[in-house]
Amino acid sequence: MNNKRKNFLEKRYKSEKRFQLFGLASISLALIFLAIFLIKIFSNGYSAFTKTWIFVEVNYDRELLLLEENPSSEDLNNADYYDIAYQSIIALDPEVDESSETFLIEMFAYNYELEIKNYLKKNPSDLGKIVKLKLTASDDIDQINKGNYPRDIPEENRRVNNYQLKIFDMLEARGDIINTFNLSFFTNPDSREAELAGIASSFMGTLFSILVCLVFSFPIAVLAGIYLEEFAPKNKFTDFIEVNINNLAAVPSIVFGLLGLGVLINIFGLPRSTPLVGGITLSLMTLPTIIIAARASLKAVPPSIKEAALAMGASKMQTTLHHAVPLSMPGTLSGTIIGLAQALGETAPLILIGMVAFVNTIPGSPLDPAASLPVQVYIWSESAERGFVEKVSACIMVLLIFLITMNLTAQIIRHRFEKKWS
Amino acid sequence: MNEKSHIVKSYEEQLLLLKDTIVKMGTKAEKQLELSIQAMVRKDLELAKKIITDDEQIDRYEFSIEEQVVNLIALRQPMAIDLRETVVALKISSDLERIGDLSKNIAKRIISIQEVISSELIKGLEIAGLKTVRQVNLVLNSYLHRDKDITENVWNSDEEIDQLTNSNMEMVLKKLETEKNQIQLTQLLFIAKNIERIGDHATNIAEQVYFLITGDYLEGQRPKG
Amino acid sequence: MKSKISAKGVNVYYGEKQALKNISIEIGEKEVTALIGPSGCGKSTFLRCLNRMNDVIDICRVEGSIKFDNLEINSKELDVVRLRENVGMVFQKPNPFPKTIYENIAYGPTIHGLVQSKQELDEIVETSLKKAALWNEVKDRLHEIGTGLSGGQQQRLCIARAISIKPEVILMDEPCSALDPIATAQIEELIDELKNEHTIVIVTHSMSQAARVSQKTGFFHLGNLIEFDSTEKIFKNPGNQQTQDYITGRFG
Repeated sequence: MNNKRKNFLEKRYKSEKRFQLFGLASISLALIFLAIFLIKIFSNGYSAFTKTWIFVEVNYDRELLLLEENPSSEDLNNADYYDIAYQSIIALDPEVDESSETFLIEMFAYNYELEIKNYLKKNPSDLGKIVKLKLTASDDIDQINKGNYPRDIPEENRRVNNYQLKIFDMLEARGDIINTFNLSFFTNPDSREAELAGIASSFMGTLFSILVCLVFSFPIAVLAGIYLEEFAPKNKFTDFIEVNINNLAAVPSIVFGLLGLGVLINIFGLPRSTPLVGGITLSLMTLPTIIIAARASLKAVPPSIKEAALAMGASKMQTTLHHAVPLSMPGTLSGTIIGLAQALGETAPLILIGMVAFVNTIPGSPLDPAASLPVQVYIWSESAERGFVEKVSACIMVLLIFLITMNLTAQIIRHRFEKKWS
Repeated sequence: MNEKSHIVKSYEEQLLLLKDTIVKMGTKAEKQLELSIQAMVRKDLELAKKIITDDEQIDRYEFSIEEQVVNLIALRQPMAIDLRETVVALKISSDLERIGDLSKNIAKRIISIQEVISSELIKGLEIAGLKTVRQVNLVLNSYLHRDKDITENVWNSDEEIDQLTNSNMEMVLKKLETEKNQIQLTQLLFIAKNIERIGDHATNIAEQVYFLITGDYLEGQRPKG
Repeated sequence: MKSKISAKGVNVYYGEKQALKNISIEIGEKEVTALIGPSGCGKSTFLRCLNRMNDVIDICRVEGSIKFDNLEINSKELDVVRLRENVGMVFQKPNPFPKTIYENIAYGPTIHGLVQSKQELDEIVETSLKKAALWNEVKDRLHEIGTGLSGGQQQRLCIARAISIKPEVILMDEPCSALDPIATAQIEELIDELKNEHTIVIVTHSMSQAARVSQKTGFFHLGNLIEFDSTEKIFKNPGNQQTQDYITGRFG
């Protein structure tokens, strides 16, 4: 008898251990996947945060630029820099033959002339002097420098030919190739050239969309949540509404995109490709999430508090606004942020309302055309150039950091306030 | 007894034990009183001495009841009928203790009487004494059976004892004027008074029992004490 | 004793189930009335009829007449906000608002517009806390969160909050059931003080508490008011066998 019970007990302990093991295994599996994902993104993307420059001695020859002494800034702007730029770059290889000159030029980003011009505009006193300037290297040289591009494949399959490689090695040996933090990735708008493309436009687009989304969805959702939870009579009709709000949360986002396209752009004639339309479309998606969060956190307010207020002679509205709503706010807010974070990652509806267009300006308001971060990921992942591969990963990293920040904020809000109130 | 019993059995048992102790103490006090009257009539000095030593038993009962009552109040906080049961037990026990004491006192005085006293006087005291024994017996029965009518009867009959005592004392006082054994006669005077006091205690107990049963106080003029 | 609340033939139904059956009771002014009885006997339901807190429960239906002075409580036209201004309530679980101690007390006077200035409000807060015997313990931390106090202090805070609007009647629904004996004694002492100015109706599970604090006691059982009499009578010599069985622990 005693032995039997002992065996039984052992069995119980074993099954308990087994259960814990299963749980641990699932969590480990999830963590491994997450780690693989993060490692892949990071290893692909970290190099996008640096940028390759080539030092070039530029001779700001007044004669060649056809400029007077002490020229006005307008003159500096209108001058033709092509010759000195060309000369400076050709000068990198004293033995260059005519057929190879283009190869030398192709080692630089196409806007080298602009960079040379901008330097002189900032430092007009250097006119007539020889200055050592760093110019943006082309995407291919950038990739070679970062080691992302193989050098040992046959020359005809390579985007960088042997001559360019020779010059690159020579420059590197001279220390004229440098790698710095890629600020332009954050300050430039999108570009066809990978080395110049940045996320400024899509970042601002996302920011504006989220703001518009918040402004539209939060007040509507909170009011709807309060009414449904505290004031609406409990009957078939409100049950019907409740079921439909829950259904709405499950509708595929692309449907909201179609709605945005059909109603906001075609009927109301709002400008397409703008964060305004994007934000409103996203707010349609976010509404049910916030309503559900607001109702849940109102329901979680202890009835004893509401009773206390009622017993003090507060009206229903006072009870709700003075007590229930403030107590439910942390929950509502964190629900809102989670809803916004979901909206942040949405791509499909934004593509439908035209935020997929190529935008090479930085939007200054929600009414300017803009892209958004997830759409930017989509656009770049479609591009062929090697340089965009790392940009895709880098953009995903920025998006993830954005998301993590928002979720963290939600957590902090919940923690900070819930502790205080309970 | 149509009372339901308590949910807490040990509480019920404690109340029953208290009641039982009161009944035992009462029986003993009644016995002591009865014996003291017997000893007086038969001039049985041995019996008188036994009465004196036995009084200690009554004291022990009183002590036990006091302890039980204090425990009940402290630990059970009795309410309503239980509260009356408890409080009344305390008061009855002190009345019974006095009855025991007075019986002992009668026995002591019997020992000091020694000489033959006019049997006429003893007869008068015996009648009054037996009457009180009956009172005590009745009141104890009314406690045991919770009988309100007997209680009222006991309460009303106290006057008879008072009257008997008065006539007994008058007789003793007359003798005192003529006879020489004044010390012995004085003892008889005390015995008469003791019997009357025992009657009063029986009446007190009757009042307590009445309160126990009804929760009210016996009304009307209290018999002279 | 003048009667403050007078209920006649009150029936309460939760849906089909009848919770109170033909209750008639007179609650005396400036005295403490205790309602006792086993769980589910309807005593709390009756208490909540007196400030219409049953309105919150959709399926609850109240019949009969409950007069507060000459005001009919159980009438559709009654303004519950005004009623509750005059009939305050203290609940079983201390439920201060999760705001500061000061705000807890100031809430009632503010929403009822009883004060014109900050100074007046300060005075009300102070006197209410003093009456609730809490002033000395909290006067240095009026702007701390009320829920940070101990259970007994929280309950006294709730009492202070209730009396801040000077209600004529205070209803207490098992106010000490969550408190330790010392905190309970403090509340009981407070009830004794408050009855000089307020009419108090208290529902309690503790019979000894009812005995200690009240002048009148009503015994409820299965929705009936079995016996209503002076507390002394109920606890010394109840007139009804069921009452006796209940208070002596011979129930069921």
